[in-house]
Amino acid sequence: MMTTPMRTLSWPRHGTLVPDLDAPKIAISIDGIELQVPQGGTILDAARQVGVRIPTLCHHDDLCTASVCRICVVEVEGMRHLQASCAAPIMQSMRIKTNTAKVRSARRHIIDLLLSEHYGDCNTCKRNNNCELQSLAVEYGVDFYRFGHPTEPKFAIDRSSSSIVRDMNKCVLCRRCVRACDELQGVSCLTVASRSARSHVSTFGNKPLSGAVCINCGQCINHCPTGALTEQDQTDEVWSMIDDPSKHVVIQTAPSPRAGMGECFALEPGTPVTYQLNTALKRMGFNAVFDTNHTADLTIIEEGTELILRLYKALVQKDPDVKLPQFTSCSPGWVKYMEHFCADMLDHLSSAKSPQQMFGSLLKTYYAEKKGVDPSNMVVVALMPCTAKKYECNRPEMNSSGYKDVDYGLTTRELARMIKESGIDLPKVPETGFDDPFGEASGAGVIFGATGGVMEAALRTVIEMVTGKAVEDFYDHANILPVRGIDGARLAEIPISEVGPVPDLIKHLVPDWDWLKGASLKVGVVHGTANAQRVIEDIRAGGPFSECHFIEFMACPGGCLGGGGQPIPTNAKIRAKRSQALYRMDTNSEVRKSHENPAVLKLYQEFLTDGPCGHVSHHHLHTTYTPRGKYMP
Amino acid sequence: MTACFFNEIAHAAGALMLLTSQDNEKAIIKDLMKTMDAERLELIPLLLAIQDEFGYVSEFAMQFIANELRIPASEIYGVVTFFHFINKKPKGKFIIRLSRDMSSIMKGAKSVARQLRNDLGIRFGETTPDGMFTLEWTSCIGMNYQAPAMMVNNEVFSNLTPPMVHRIIEDCRQELYAHRPTVGNVGETHASMMSYSSHELNSGLIRAIREMTPAEVIGELTVSGLKGRGGAGFPTGVKWNLAAKAEGDVKYIICNADEGEPGTFKDRIILGKYADLVFEGMTLAGYAVGATEGIVYLRYEYTHVRPHLEAALAARRQANLLGRNILGKEGFSFDIRIHMGAGAYVCGEETALIESLEGRRGQPRNRPPYPVEKGLHGRPTVVNNVETLATASCIVARGAKWFTSIGTERSKGFKLFSVSGDCARPGVYELPWGMTVQQLLELVDGAGAKAVQVGGYTGELVPAGEFGRVMGYEDLGIGGSIIVYGQGRDMLEVAENYLEFFVEESCGQCTGCRIGNAKLLDGVHRLQKGTCSNRYLNDLIGLSHSIKTTSKCGLGQASPDIFIAINEHFKEEIMARPVLAA
Repeated sequence: MMTTPMRTLSWPRHGTLVPDLDAPKIAISIDGIELQVPQGGTILDAARQVGVRIPTLCHHDDLCTASVCRICVVEVEGMRHLQASCAAPIMQSMRIKTNTAKVRSARRHIIDLLLSEHYGDCNTCKRNNNCELQSLAVEYGVDFYRFGHPTEPKFAIDRSSSSIVRDMNKCVLCRRCVRACDELQGVSCLTVASRSARSHVSTFGNKPLSGAVCINCGQCINHCPTGALTEQDQTDEVWSMIDDPSKHVVIQTAPSPRAGMGECFALEPGTPVTYQLNTALKRMGFNAVFDTNHTADLTIIEEGTELILRLYKALVQKDPDVKLPQFTSCSPGWVKYMEHFCADMLDHLSSAKSPQQMFGSLLKTYYAEKKGVDPSNMVVVALMPCTAKKYECNRPEMNSSGYKDVDYGLTTRELARMIKESGIDLPKVPETGFDDPFGEASGAGVIFGATGGVMEAALRTVIEMVTGKAVEDFYDHANILPVRGIDGARLAEIPISEVGPVPDLIKHLVPDWDWLKGASLKVGVVHGTANAQRVIEDIRAGGPFSECHFIEFMACPGGCLGGGGQPIPTNAKIRAKRSQALYRMDTNSEVRKSHENPAVLKLYQEFLTDGPCGHVSHHHLHTTYTPRGKYMP
Repeated sequence: MTACFFNEIAHAAGALMLLTSQDNEKAIIKDLMKTMDAERLELIPLLLAIQDEFGYVSEFAMQFIANELRIPASEIYGVVTFFHFINKKPKGKFIIRLSRDMSSIMKGAKSVARQLRNDLGIRFGETTPDGMFTLEWTSCIGMNYQAPAMMVNNEVFSNLTPPMVHRIIEDCRQELYAHRPTVGNVGETHASMMSYSSHELNSGLIRAIREMTPAEVIGELTVSGLKGRGGAGFPTGVKWNLAAKAEGDVKYIICNADEGEPGTFKDRIILGKYADLVFEGMTLAGYAVGATEGIVYLRYEYTHVRPHLEAALAARRQANLLGRNILGKEGFSFDIRIHMGAGAYVCGEETALIESLEGRRGQPRNRPPYPVEKGLHGRPTVVNNVETLATASCIVARGAKWFTSIGTERSKGFKLFSVSGDCARPGVYELPWGMTVQQLLELVDGAGAKAVQVGGYTGELVPAGEFGRVMGYEDLGIGGSIIVYGQGRDMLEVAENYLEFFVEESCGQCTGCRIGNAKLLDGVHRLQKGTCSNRYLNDLIGLSHSIKTTSKCGLGQASPDIFIAINEHFKEEIMARPVLAA
């Protein structure tokens, strides 16, 4: 099995320093500590190596250098001005001092100035105790507002978006949101407008977020140092539903929050809390707790069948209207990205709904009937690593149950607050399983949370369905390593050397697999919509990605585990640990293939009786998309 | 029912009209784009062209060009809102911009402003209901020696008095251009400009091309000790040498004609009188560095100089002083084009200038890398001030020896000074380095001055007690703007004016400069009201030093100087308020 990895394309922008590792090292001293560093690296990186903490604000490991807040200034011997350590390259031997009176005074002044413009009360702020400005104020001993403190807001809070709340009164102009939106996501919804003291972060034409080209991914929130950007908080609504005895409130939990939630309870990143979470949710008063992975497994069957049908139509029936490659559709940020930026390519998107929405529809129909609950009294909550899920559940078309399929999408952060409010010490509670009638799902569903996971899950199923053999015969422990990795855009080829009989589940759709024999399934994996933008351009230009049959796209860096609803902070290291946690959960799962999930198979017997991509499944599990374009009135 | 029906028709008609007007807008913009390279490079000229056509740049236009140029619409919005002279909303047919530099204020800009307000019935920042006039303050427009001055669209009017502006407005109303007094003769000064006026045109270029290798040209400049005349004083020979040695197939020579330093107008005079000297210098630089393209970054306020410059360039092309194989020199090709700024003082900073040339907000970059290594489009770029380039021509023509014979040990040669304020003979003066402030005051007849601002707002405020200080790199080695303050001048008003300027012109990146300057201005207001405690004043002085040391570019590194200076030299005066408060 071979793979053609494609490296993440980086954006070479001025100001982003890349050390020259071939050049001889340079001897420098930082606060009297002598060390050797590569040429062209930053003072900040060098200081971190030797345990010297230089405060930062506009700097973020995920983003290019901005060097605008100036909090990281240090003194370099022989230089008149202080140097911003995040941007100053080490090109020659230098003596650096990071804590002189001049430096401390300058940093204190910068904090004082930021506070003089920062309107808002820490106690009522979502980022209380997790705010970089607040921490800096503590570190630098701010005990009064030297240059004043605003007594009234300058900006109206923008609550227009279903997903994101912007309170520019708390903005410190670090521009991390602007860079995240641009560099990571390629959306560029946010920009810096105007200049001087009037400069502010703005959308195009200063429109409310709901009227701007925003994909709701929430990466701006994850990269914001303060409470200027937060999720649209729905905890109060959810509490009121739980507290209403006439309501049957159920919750489905996605895999990524399980890998991230622990961080909100001072656990090491990558400590899974799946079953403790179930206990907490039950104690909080949810009537039932389900695993979104069931509908992830269902997605694999539906989306996989759709892919097989597309391939069959294109390759055997020579239908010219069939669009390939097929794109995954489970990331609502990615879907909205497509609707805005690639409205002409919406046919490439799988019509399968996301697991969240599939589950909503099933819960208010199949489950409601089984349980004997009136769906009008049923409230479906979804625990997601994602802010775009809030927007997704509000889409008007998401009502195939006859009701709003999913009532509330809660982010990991929101639920963490609710758990704390309930007085539950999450790491210490016992473990509880998921509720019937669904029970435990597969490990294939778990890895949906990591980039490449959907593809791996799909391949486990497709390989077994087509070859009739176990995936383990081709890949050790069913780990399809070629699609794993962290590069922003990757390609892999899966040769189909042998074929078996068509499984019963889809026998009515394809007569045999002979047409696939000897073929090679070409797949792509992409995360971060800025990378998606490049891949789309590659497809339009007829590049290697245009030859793919199936491409997994995830809006957020690292996939859902790096989602905009996950705990803050985020960086590559934290995301890697969350990813490891997900893959460990998969390894430890009893069932690791979607088509072996007994609950899913039961669904096809009892409810989706005309099979994958049949009429019932189309009604409940598939959707349509809206071309939106980039023009905003 | 009927009303409802008509409403619908009206709605439909409205939608239809909107569509056609947008289609029309699209078609016009597309035509405009055909005349320029549809590249990001051309974003700001494109925006200005659209504005010339429609009076402003609509949101629709921004989204349309974003699509065409494949850049995010939000980024274009960021650019549009950054520059002073790009309108987001329709403005009046006549946009009146009154200069509010200190020289203008001292010479009666406020009474002119009152006349304008009364005549037009609007306040500054507003447009008359009939859409005829928009009234705005603007930063220095380079007419300080004929202050007060204002622009009506792209025309400049100077030596204004209230009766005069009344007449100008009447003329605008009747659209009688002929009756309006024209700008005071461009280039008319008290300057001797001995070196420039006696320069034999193109003799430097001819000598270089016929007798010298590029390395020898650089050597000549290095020996001459010429330092950048924009204010930073970087040795020109060293700069050219770095660019010459930098790797790159394409290199650029940029003439920084974004003369925004309040009180400075020498570059405008040079461009008006000695444009060829500047172009000669650019060509020399191109020869020395190995560049093929030269760009004059001309500030928007000098739009009125542009036709003259274009004519000079055309004549040079005709004479084979530009173009391919210049003066028969095989393989040496160089041409110059003019790029208009759009109103941002900070774009005088070389990396901000380059950002703006690339179609971005004029925000200074992190340095290093320096432009000589990675400048415009990541290529080696020399950015030189107008005067530096003109002087380079004289040096190559007459030799470094001649140049070093003028001036002092550490400040070689001569310098052009723009003198304005309380003196009898304001204007541009070509003087050798090494004169004292006192000697200069005698020359311009500024006897009895209270203080002199040397080097523009970012320079140094020299009180009367220090008039013996020397103008040269060993002492007051900055820029060429001299503003004379007479005995009656209120130093708090001076500081207020400077800080208002810096608050407005900060690009907004660095925390200290963005917020800190506003705090200093607030401090001045407190001092004026007599509500600034000694303790708070000390806090602000401490803040001033932090702004200076933490800012990325020269603007923030110098903006607090006036605050520090009035505290140092005029403490009694500034703490004496509100005794004199009106």
